[in-house]
Amino acid sequence: MWTVVKSVLAALLGVQNNRNRQEDFSSDKPGVYIATGVVITLLFVLLLVFLATLAAR
Amino acid sequence: MRSRCWWLLVMTFAASGSQAQTNGWNMPVGVTDVSGDIYGLHMTIFWICVVIGVLVFGAMFYSLFRYRHSKGAKAANFHEHTSVEVLWTAIPILILVGMAVPATATLKNMYDASDAELDVMITGQQWRWRYEYLGEDVAFTSNMSTPRAQISGEEARGEHYLLEVDEPLVLPTDRKVRFLMTSDDVIHSWWVPDLAVKQDTIPGFINENWVKINEPGIYRGQCAELCGIDHGFMPVVVHAMEEEEFDGWLAERKAAAEEEAMGVDREWEMEELVERGESVYQSICSSCHQAEGQGSPPAFPALANNEQLISDVDWHLDKVINGVSGAAMPAFRSTLNPVELAAVVTYTRNAWGNDTGDVVQPSEVAELIAQ
Amino acid sequence: MAPKLPPQPPLQHSNTAVADSQSHGHAAPPKGILRWLLTTNHKEIGSLYLIFSLTMFFIGGIFALVVRAELFQPGLQLVEPEFFNQMTTMHGLIMVFAAVMPAFTGLANWMIPLQIGAPDMALPRLNNFSFWLLPVAFTLLLSTLFMPGGGPNFGWTFYAPLSTTYAPPSTTFFILALHIAGISSILGAINIIATILNMRAPGMRLMDMPLFVWTWLITAFLLIAVMPVLAGVITMMLMDINFGTSFFDAAGGGDPVLFQHLFWFFGHPEVYIMILPAFGIVSAIIPTFARKPLFGYASMVYATAAIALLSFLVWAHHMFIVGLPLVAELFFMYSTMLIAVPTGVKVFNWVTTLFRGSISFESPMLFSLAFVVLFTIGGFSGLMLAIAPADFQYHDTYFVVAHFHYVLVPGAIFAIMAGVYYWLPKWTGHYPNEKLAQWHFWFSIIGVNLTFFPMHFAGLAGMPRRIPDYALQFADFNLLSSIGAFFFGASQLLFVLVVILCVRGGKKAPAKAWEGAEDLEWTVPSPAPLHTFETPPVFHRASH
Repeated sequence: MWTVVKSVLAALLGVQNNRNRQEDFSSDKPGVYIATGVVITLLFVLLLVFLATLAAR
Repeated sequence: MRSRCWWLLVMTFAASGSQAQTNGWNMPVGVTDVSGDIYGLHMTIFWICVVIGVLVFGAMFYSLFRYRHSKGAKAANFHEHTSVEVLWTAIPILILVGMAVPATATLKNMYDASDAELDVMITGQQWRWRYEYLGEDVAFTSNMSTPRAQISGEEARGEHYLLEVDEPLVLPTDRKVRFLMTSDDVIHSWWVPDLAVKQDTIPGFINENWVKINEPGIYRGQCAELCGIDHGFMPVVVHAMEEEEFDGWLAERKAAAEEEAMGVDREWEMEELVERGESVYQSICSSCHQAEGQGSPPAFPALANNEQLISDVDWHLDKVINGVSGAAMPAFRSTLNPVELAAVVTYTRNAWGNDTGDVVQPSEVAELIAQ
Repeated sequence: MAPKLPPQPPLQHSNTAVADSQSHGHAAPPKGILRWLLTTNHKEIGSLYLIFSLTMFFIGGIFALVVRAELFQPGLQLVEPEFFNQMTTMHGLIMVFAAVMPAFTGLANWMIPLQIGAPDMALPRLNNFSFWLLPVAFTLLLSTLFMPGGGPNFGWTFYAPLSTTYAPPSTTFFILALHIAGISSILGAINIIATILNMRAPGMRLMDMPLFVWTWLITAFLLIAVMPVLAGVITMMLMDINFGTSFFDAAGGGDPVLFQHLFWFFGHPEVYIMILPAFGIVSAIIPTFARKPLFGYASMVYATAAIALLSFLVWAHHMFIVGLPLVAELFFMYSTMLIAVPTGVKVFNWVTTLFRGSISFESPMLFSLAFVVLFTIGGFSGLMLAIAPADFQYHDTYFVVAHFHYVLVPGAIFAIMAGVYYWLPKWTGHYPNEKLAQWHFWFSIIGVNLTFFPMHFAGLAGMPRRIPDYALQFADFNLLSSIGAFFFGASQLLFVLVVILCVRGGKKAPAKAWEGAEDLEWTVPSPAPLHTFETPPVFHRASH
């Protein structure tokens, strides 16, 4: 699970090395990556909303 | 080649910039605290970009020069380096956070319109601005005063070509003034660079902005949002006065407005109305219906020799007072006072061969509006 | 590019191609115009797209020159403001929807099957239909210029209510034209996704695909996600204009700002639709002429995905001055600034690819290098525009015009031209005339900078966009821009000349036309025969 999260975070930053992506792409379950991606995107949006709300006070 | 090009241009404009009135080729520092803050942010982010650009393009041009195939360069075969990649991701993030902090502070300040001492309602109309000093019974419209002959090149162009108006917005210095902004027709955008105020005026919405001017002077700007044919001919001019001078001006305008209100009840002569109407027509109506009433169909019908207009005075009054829904003709019931409405209707009914001989009295118009 | 392909005998391929086409007994193609109307071949449809795009590039360019001619000096000399507004609007619409987008689709049609070892697109008839919708859509759009009341005059962003209540009667035709173009884009995107996901050569995994294929895969998903939003918003306009609804009419309880939210929810991903395939092209060309694999292939793919994702979260940075609440301003400022990170990663990767390479400067490389530098300058001004307080000064000025032209002209269009020069040997079997191509490059780069660099200054000094006449202090900048624009426009005739000469003859190109080129398209002969890869090639992955 942690490796999936790590890969998705790497994708969000746009940095990944070849070894890890070989691992990612040899997995048969793209669904897990997509689901994690969606969840992390939502968390990212919430984080930004939180930061913006905090800053606006 | 890029950087040489850049410097060439900078030099060119440093030279030519001196002939422009203010800042020839950069954002103005402006005359408010906010405009100064924005200028600071602008220059900071600009220099950050310059430094990054010099580093990145420097590395690029060094590689292009040093590793030329024609000089027998042999290609290495590396294609990733995780720690370098993490580094060049992390550094920009830190820079961006450093940039976001002052930007947030400035933005919060710009959004704080509380404790204003004066409220001015700004209404965008195709293609003029209407200013209303709320609670002071002073309101007027502000039209471009550059003659059409200058635009077509028949006359020499003046110093403030396209950036001059018949009546500027007059504001006090050192007082916080709140703007309430809306529009009667399409979206406009009220912009004065020296005040760093640019805000869309949107039909059905009231936007808020504020300004506290530090120096008296005349500040010029333009409508910034495409709003139709005369979008380019919708200047904003702000005349900032010392506080006492402003108070005197406001009192004078109040007295004049009261006098005008009295005029509604008296009987007006035709010549008076036509004379007054012509000036109203030229400043308000001519941008669409044209100087000689010829219009520009199909959007803007001709008024000269318009059968319906000539035959039906009630129809004519209705269109001017209430506008035409679903078309570009706005309702002028609140923009113009009864004297101006009566005058402009009388004028159009007697100009350009429309010789109906009709005289519409301000009192009749006042009655129509009251209904 | 990470995968290294072993040299494959091209001769064998051409033999199988010929043998296959005979054994499959392809019926003789219809002659003349019918051949082009009915073709289902990805190469022919690709060529149609490219020719269409080039034609529209010149039509849109002429509109731009009308604008620049009027702005050559202060005053109104050539056109009336009404026609000026139609020209700015049509220039934008044609360049975005009829020049840049079809050019990328054309390159995708030609190159994606060749790069993944597929015999054709997955849905060839649909492919034909998507192309032929375009001439219909844009004939309809251009015809509005001849209608009473004129064509669209409300800017390519067509903000309501200027584009609804106050619009010319031809607006309904404009809406239908955009609908048809949108359907074409969606069908094209579906076809590309189906091709990439189903028809790769055996052994080629997603992470072995060339970056042009990757960026197009992500672009296609963006298209499918946002074109329906555009369709929705123009349908709402249609209803407002013709059926008495009030979606955007404040007098009827509607909301003009809603229009902008919907438009930019489409419009911002649309910006990336126009740039991601350019990233892919440049990522193919730079390694070829640096004779060195692309640095950080995996990062490039991830960064593309990140940019695509972020593009859905930043739309309101186009609306900083409409009066959004403070929290919304801050949210969109932060998210927009973050886009600089993955975009920066891409630029760093290209520069590092050059480092310790063995670099030669053929015309595709020159255009790609100019892309990197000038796109980055456009990125810098984009970063400046992201700072919300400063945007209150930049917004709707020529600074914005300079910004998006830097990302679109030396960005998207230079990448397209780089791609054309790069793949012309594969398409025609001849190298383009290098000398003319180099002249074209140097003229273009001078023209582009002379046109668009002074616009930064004009904007900062206070010149709003979309005005037909301007105050005297902007005269110098506009004079330079106009000279640059005519210079740039005229130098594009050289491009046409190079392409025509290259189709008719020139130095013969071998299958692998460029020394450092690695992808599958270079294993088929030049010119590529009408049918390629009818038996899938064996794909060997580089081992690292």
